[in-house]
Amino acid sequence: MNRSETREPTTGPMAIARFLALVLLGAAIGGIAALCAVGFVAIVFFLNDTLLISPRSRMMFGHEQWLIAATIAVPTIGGLLAGMLHRWIRERRPHTPADVIAAVQTRAGRLPARAGLLSALSALVSLGSGASVGQYGPLVHLGATLGSLSARLLRLGRSDDNITIACGVAAAIATAFNAPLAGIVFAHEVMLRHYALRAFAPIAAAAIVGHVIATNVLERGALFHVTGSAVPQPWEFAVFLVIGGLGALVAGAYMVAIRHAGRLAARLPLPAVCRPALAGAILGTAALWVPDILGMGQETLRFATIAGAFGTAELVVVLVLKILATALCLGMGFAGGVFSPALVIGTLFGALCGSLVAMVSGAPLDTFIFYAVCGMVAVTAPVIGAPLTSLLIVFELTGSYVLTTAALASVTLASPIAAQLFGRSLFDIQLAARGLDLSAGRSHAVLHAMSINPYLTRECVTLSPQQTIGDAIATLGRAGHAEAYLVSAQARYLGTVTLAELEAMRDTAHASRSLIECTASDRSTLTPDTSVGEAMEQLRHFTGEAIAVVDDPTTRTFLGVVYESSIARAYLQQSDELRREEYGNG
Amino acid sequence: MVNARRAIALVLLSIVMPSPTATADDTPSLTVLSWGGSYERAQRQAIFAPFSEATGIDVVVERYDGGIGDLRQAAEDGDVDWDIIDMTQSDALAACEAGLLHPLSPSLAAPAPDGTPASQDFIDGAFTRCSMSHTVYATVVAYRRDAFPGTRPTQIADLFDQERFPGPRALQHSPAANLEWALLSYGVPREELYRLLSTERGLELAFERLESLDDIRWWEGGDTPVQWLVDGKVVMASGYNGRFFDAMIQQDAPIDILWDGQVQEHETWVIPRASDHPELAREFIRFATTTERLATFARHIPYGPARHSAATQVTTHIDSGQDMRLHIPTHPLNAQRAITKDHDWYARTQARVNERFRQRLPRGE
Repeated sequence: MNRSETREPTTGPMAIARFLALVLLGAAIGGIAALCAVGFVAIVFFLNDTLLISPRSRMMFGHEQWLIAATIAVPTIGGLLAGMLHRWIRERRPHTPADVIAAVQTRAGRLPARAGLLSALSALVSLGSGASVGQYGPLVHLGATLGSLSARLLRLGRSDDNITIACGVAAAIATAFNAPLAGIVFAHEVMLRHYALRAFAPIAAAAIVGHVIATNVLERGALFHVTGSAVPQPWEFAVFLVIGGLGALVAGAYMVAIRHAGRLAARLPLPAVCRPALAGAILGTAALWVPDILGMGQETLRFATIAGAFGTAELVVVLVLKILATALCLGMGFAGGVFSPALVIGTLFGALCGSLVAMVSGAPLDTFIFYAVCGMVAVTAPVIGAPLTSLLIVFELTGSYVLTTAALASVTLASPIAAQLFGRSLFDIQLAARGLDLSAGRSHAVLHAMSINPYLTRECVTLSPQQTIGDAIATLGRAGHAEAYLVSAQARYLGTVTLAELEAMRDTAHASRSLIECTASDRSTLTPDTSVGEAMEQLRHFTGEAIAVVDDPTTRTFLGVVYESSIARAYLQQSDELRREEYGNG
Repeated sequence: MVNARRAIALVLLSIVMPSPTATADDTPSLTVLSWGGSYERAQRQAIFAPFSEATGIDVVVERYDGGIGDLRQAAEDGDVDWDIIDMTQSDALAACEAGLLHPLSPSLAAPAPDGTPASQDFIDGAFTRCSMSHTVYATVVAYRRDAFPGTRPTQIADLFDQERFPGPRALQHSPAANLEWALLSYGVPREELYRLLSTERGLELAFERLESLDDIRWWEGGDTPVQWLVDGKVVMASGYNGRFFDAMIQQDAPIDILWDGQVQEHETWVIPRASDHPELAREFIRFATTTERLATFARHIPYGPARHSAATQVTTHIDSGQDMRLHIPTHPLNAQRAITKDHDWYARTQARVNERFRQRLPRGE
């Protein structure tokens, strides 16, 4: 493996060898991530069976009183454990795919291994104890963490770090759904958000390894299953379009519910450690009446694809309760994904549409499964911001082209409407709340994630207010600068003076007057954590050499300056690196 | 279980003893509890008679219709006269859990003729704590070829489609297989059957499907559905694949088996705790599960041998010369959409599911 981080050859045999090594690395990461995914899923199933969460174990156990106790106690204790695990993470919350997106989009890379493993562990506990959360988010994050870790161990650069992260993500999806194409597209559509041949090959290698491992190790029924050869009527495609539009609203309600639950939870007079436990207790109690809301809801998902398994009113109740249960669990701090619950919610929604259409048309539908799948895609695609991935999952799992085109009809409206009303995905909404705006694209995000701190310098002329004008002009002249910064004895930034201003003052006043009696122009300042992007915004209204940097806009302790040319250089360098990453071909 | 059906067939095999001094009194004998009918006939020819011939031990056969109620009752009464029982694996698990059976070590089984150890030669899941699988049988649906002119059932959902396939059905009055088929008819994947049947919603869907059938005749003994089908009293019937085969071959009955959705289960040998001759019983089990005996057995009745080495040796039907491989449930063509019965699930839930079943679908008169 080539360990040099800078000045990599871009052509020639070395470059090819290096690229092939990267593909091999992708395959290796794919293997590790896939095995971890398989292990993760197996442990969740094992825990669900042992802890009396899965219907099969509950049925086999059979003692009614104990089951009631377990239904409440298991999610509560699971919540407590998850809450305790989160105390070991710096941010006091589990990491999710949103963190991966942030790392890739800002080219920060370097996902923290410790937080990643703790998040995975906490997700295992949450899923194992029946919280209404998803498993794919944690799998994606685990894969990404493993990818980033291997890039760090091999001392690869940031661009390669991004690629290895995407490899882990693709392998996790390819394994969990047994859908390699969906894995590859997901890594591009959600994580990288650009298409580069250099990234494609390692990601494809990872997805293929994941797929091979999944077909040989995981023996599970497909997520959905189509029998019969029913084909929708032409008018039904119009209904699918409408389902898409309405599904966007359901997806929006789901995302808003999760965000609100999080905000409400923060206001609870309860230590953060105990919040998931409270959510678990509420969930368990509610599950005594509506068991469908417990856990990932695979059985509920299956029943929702069967016409007549739910009554129409029942569909509405379970749909609303599942949204609330998931918002409760995620908002109160259980670790887990948003995709599996969205699958259940979407399928219930599709089933609801199907039964309403059947009611209106007065005949049972042969195409009920189409409605269920359209609803599912219409809700999941906006939530994860991945219309193509959702379609490919349908295609790869069913092998049905008709079903995929129906899903396409539905996703056509769902994704753009939800993006207009709510945001590109739940991840983007969460990141925006944390201050990272991805809506303007990657270069914007990179510039806004990069602080000016590395460009901060003290190589500038500072003047004390007691100095005289003449002295100041002489100092500036010796230093060869045209600007000086007035700094008090307490190191407080007072303002900037230019040579031109000083000359003008000398002409109107006496050269021996001290600077304190002159008015220094009050220019805007920066702080060390100001991003390059924000600094560039300020440059729009700025003429001069450099901007002063203070520790805090109120205390205004002078730290140094950032030259305008440094900011321009930083911008050019970032654009250059992004261009190489996104358009380089290997 | 209808006790009247527990007709006891005491058959002493007339074996010429090698030792002239042996008298009837000191000849040990083993009592085997099995399923009667053509199944028992095949066992006599392929296993019991050769065993007696080889060891000089008589085999007495009694008949039952499955379940562990009889054994439990007999154990309570202190009156168990069976040394070996031919049990379905789920019954064996339940009986083992109830402490009614001797533990059986997998090392008891003989290696394959080529020396492959038994642990590798037996199919997956053949050994449980108290039982050793010997064959794989299937509960299938069979139908009269002449009942549906111009068409024939091709999938298990057709069992419930009385519009296209009108006529009375014969089903076993027990949840096993019926619940699986009922849920399968909604198009759920086989792998999820028992997970879905574990929910209230799944059970309800299955019962609704069964209740939707117009004319169900319930059967209990394995011979009954075959007889009804042959006599034309029903047009479709569930039953054990071997018995239907027997009717097709021996009686030349116009019936066919619908392999779609066949429910495969292991048939096992177990030794009741109260057996008088546990050592002899072990010796019998070792003999009865050799590759040679299992392959021979499958030439009498089409049940899949539980050993790989035996499965490859199955040839033609001993009487008719039919290729038996096409008639055993484990043949790849037949097993495409087979359901493997979840023994654990049944062992734990049998009493409750039975109760529900009987409430929802009473036998009537």
